[in-house]
Amino acid sequence: MRLCISCGMPMEKPEDFPLGDASKDYCVHCARPDGSLQSYEERAAGMADFIVTTQGLDREAALSTAKAMMSRLPAWKGRS
Amino acid sequence: MSIQSITTTRHRDGQKLETRRRIIEAAIRVFSRDGILASTTAEVAKEAGLSHGSVFAHFGTQEFLVSAAIEDFGGALARRLHMLVASGAGTRSVLEAHLRAIGEREDFYARLVVEAPLLPAQAQDSLVAIQSSICFHLSPAVAAETRARKIRPMPLYLLFNTWIGLAHHYLANRALFAPGGSVVERLGEELLDHFMYLISKED
Repeated sequence: MRLCISCGMPMEKPEDFPLGDASKDYCVHCARPDGSLQSYEERAAGMADFIVTTQGLDREAALSTAKAMMSRLPAWKGRS
Repeated sequence: MSIQSITTTRHRDGQKLETRRRIIEAAIRVFSRDGILASTTAEVAKEAGLSHGSVFAHFGTQEFLVSAAIEDFGGALARRLHMLVASGAGTRSVLEAHLRAIGEREDFYARLVVEAPLLPAQAQDSLVAIQSSICFHLSPAVAAETRARKIRPMPLYLLFNTWIGLAHHYLANRALFAPGGSVVERLGEELLDHFMYLISKED
């Protein structure tokens, strides 16, 4: 199973990839509309928004958790 | 670098990864049995059939081993959930898959639920990551059923936290609800029925 280097999501179907391009190693959720990988700040904000919407965490706590989760993924390793 | 030295390096890296995996699997067994905070690296080393020094060489501190084990467990649970949830699955099917994935590793998951607030921040981040992988599947299912007026309109985080609150309460007190057995096996269906009743819109 291929995992997105940016968020860890499993990628199997063509629609999981940016613009359906299976040669990319990041998923559709981590891509900009033109198919390029989002910046670190864009991705952290997007992930924090998702955590707030789905789990109701405080926004700052969600951002801190998102960054901690990202620091373990290949695209963002070591960033914080 | 010669071909022979490249082969030797790869072999060593493979061995290193294999030992790391062995330690993590042993840690998960020990933590499941004795508790996460109550376990020691010496017990993990014994369970893995390795020296205490070997565990420290790979993980440095008990805290790092705990975080690595939880992260590994969370990743495996997320991948399992992804395999169990069919494309376009409804809310009930996603939650059924959630319970099934938990049920396969209930001993460890229940320990994690009980001890999470006392664990290092990194371990708590892993728990949020596990919840995020469930929400990734749950979110579109709930949105579609809310639009179809099958589910009452409510903030997704309240729906999800109500489900987690219910499931985690039973798991945290499994000795009372399912002594010596599995909460998921014994009560999973009933909890699922009840939760769906709570969120479903009346005709």
